[in-house]
Amino acid sequence: MSSLTFERLGKSYGAAVVVSDVSLTIRQGEFVSLLGPSGCGKTTILRMVAGLVEPDRGRIVIGEEDVTALPPNRRGLGLVFQSYALFPHLTVFENVAFGLRRRKVVGAELDKRVREALALVRLDAFGARYPRQLSGGQQQRVAIARALAPRPRVLLFDEPLSNLDAQLRDEMQIELKRLQRGLGITTLFVTHDQSEALSMSDRVGVMAQGVMQQFATPEDIYHRPATGFVASFIGKPNRLAGKVASRHGAGGSVRLGDGLILPAAQIGAAEGATVDVVIRQEAVGLNGGPVENAALRGVVALRSFNGARVQYVVRLDHGIELVAEAASGGANSALTIGSEVSLSIDPRSIFATPAEVAS
Amino acid sequence: MIRTRHGIMLLAPLALVLVGFFLVPVIMMLPTSFREYQPGLGLAPGTWTLENYTQIVTDDYYREVISRTLGLGLLVTLACLLLGYPVAYLIARGPDRWRVPLILLVVFPMMLNLVVRSFGWIALLANHGLVNNLLIELGLISSPLKLMFNLTGLMIGLTHIYLPFMVLMLVVAIRNVPRDVEAAAAVLGSTRVHVFAAVTLPLSAPGILAGSILVFVLTISALVTPRMLGGPTYKVMATLIYDEYMQLLDWPSGSALSFALTFMAVGVIWLSSRLTKRWAGMA
Repeated sequence: MSSLTFERLGKSYGAAVVVSDVSLTIRQGEFVSLLGPSGCGKTTILRMVAGLVEPDRGRIVIGEEDVTALPPNRRGLGLVFQSYALFPHLTVFENVAFGLRRRKVVGAELDKRVREALALVRLDAFGARYPRQLSGGQQQRVAIARALAPRPRVLLFDEPLSNLDAQLRDEMQIELKRLQRGLGITTLFVTHDQSEALSMSDRVGVMAQGVMQQFATPEDIYHRPATGFVASFIGKPNRLAGKVASRHGAGGSVRLGDGLILPAAQIGAAEGATVDVVIRQEAVGLNGGPVENAALRGVVALRSFNGARVQYVVRLDHGIELVAEAASGGANSALTIGSEVSLSIDPRSIFATPAEVAS
Repeated sequence: MIRTRHGIMLLAPLALVLVGFFLVPVIMMLPTSFREYQPGLGLAPGTWTLENYTQIVTDDYYREVISRTLGLGLLVTLACLLLGYPVAYLIARGPDRWRVPLILLVVFPMMLNLVVRSFGWIALLANHGLVNNLLIELGLISSPLKLMFNLTGLMIGLTHIYLPFMVLMLVVAIRNVPRDVEAAAAVLGSTRVHVFAAVTLPLSAPGILAGSILVFVLTISALVTPRMLGGPTYKVMATLIYDEYMQLLDWPSGSALSFALTFMAVGVIWLSSRLTKRWAGMA
């Protein structure tokens, strides 16, 4: 187990810059996610760490060792692929034993360590099977056991849960997190799924177009997005076009639609500028009942129930529409289409960014 | 999914052609193979015999031709595999812009007529051919090497002709080996050589087997090239059958040999499809 450091890591294919001077340090035992839309360079970074892609610029340091020029087999890492990438012609036992055999572990010690690794992922009884005889979730657990067995210095995950169905994914998230905590292994986790990244990580790096937008704790990423991209990428955003009405420190107020003025916590443009305004759905509060004294009023245009939450599309008087959420079974979970509601919006969840940056 | 009824309709035209113009004539040959041959007359009327088949197993000359044919098949298959795998690997895994030119290069010989290519080899391999003359001029040998009318000549010619088939089969097989699985082995500590030996090679085994069957079956049934490079004396089964029919007019013997050759080819295909199934069952 070691720390992992990138120093000004960069990669281009022809004229396309895939990763642009990314620097960060993952502390020993830390769980760090790289989060971003596909093509943002996160997987390229992971493959550079693994030694599968050669960086054009910068250094990769594991612990105290500069591994930038080492081939993958001499980096002492574990890598879990989205496709699992198990050896189809080998049994589960031999899959897990593969890395150990490469490290000259043999006999009783080999047997013991394979069993330990399989026990960690609760597949003790499956050693004799072939990968094709396992379900997707089981295959993924074999892949994790295979990566863990040689006791790697750093564990890398490349979208490991994307091929699993939703329920299994939630279970695996918890299981993975527990495993990582228990072993205290330095982990780099690449994903495009923000809930995965936010819930599992000690720190999250949000990337867009090869550039690290923000590297911070999940709470900071969510509540204090550093760039417009992060604000609009994280959470479930309402995206609206508007103008900056006034500036006040980091924030101020924005004008939406035909004259609705809302306070905003973060504004990245000067007064009068055209901006994209992001309002988190979860920050929009709804109230049925009397609306006469409400500052903000609207009419329910659409209701959709998705189990734990109810989503409403609300048309405001000012000619704009907002999506808002209410807890299922709560006081405002049964508003009918056409009913009048009052709205309250938490200004800390309103962000405005210059219009051209919109993604 | 295509329904059974529609499947039969799709199959019918080809099936009819094959039955009418291939299966029926072949079956018509079956009685001939049990008839007796009378020199000068052809088929002896009214007599039936098993001798045409027993002589294939007992006659030294026939046995020699059969073992030569099978040996040639094995050697050509092996040569194609050893020469073809590296090229196939390069095509499958090399730079994208090399792929099309390399495949064209591999396929190009197939665009030339078989007879022309075999004549080309005669010009190269004959006693006073290009190769021998060059070696003598260079002073490397004093008398010409025997490169034709023997195993060497047939191997060179047939390997050249069937190499493209092998390469094309192998390219598909190697491209089907997932890169992630190879990368997984590398990250787990495998050197490039070990990745190849432990992952790429076993996972491309089905293609190796398919290519080998194809080349083997084509080689043991090849006629034109063995005829031209083997001459009238160095015979394989196909040329022997041809001579039995066309020169000796010994149709019974020729038919029996044909069935023996067919049987061997079918046997090889059956055996290797069993092997493939076992491997596929594992993989």
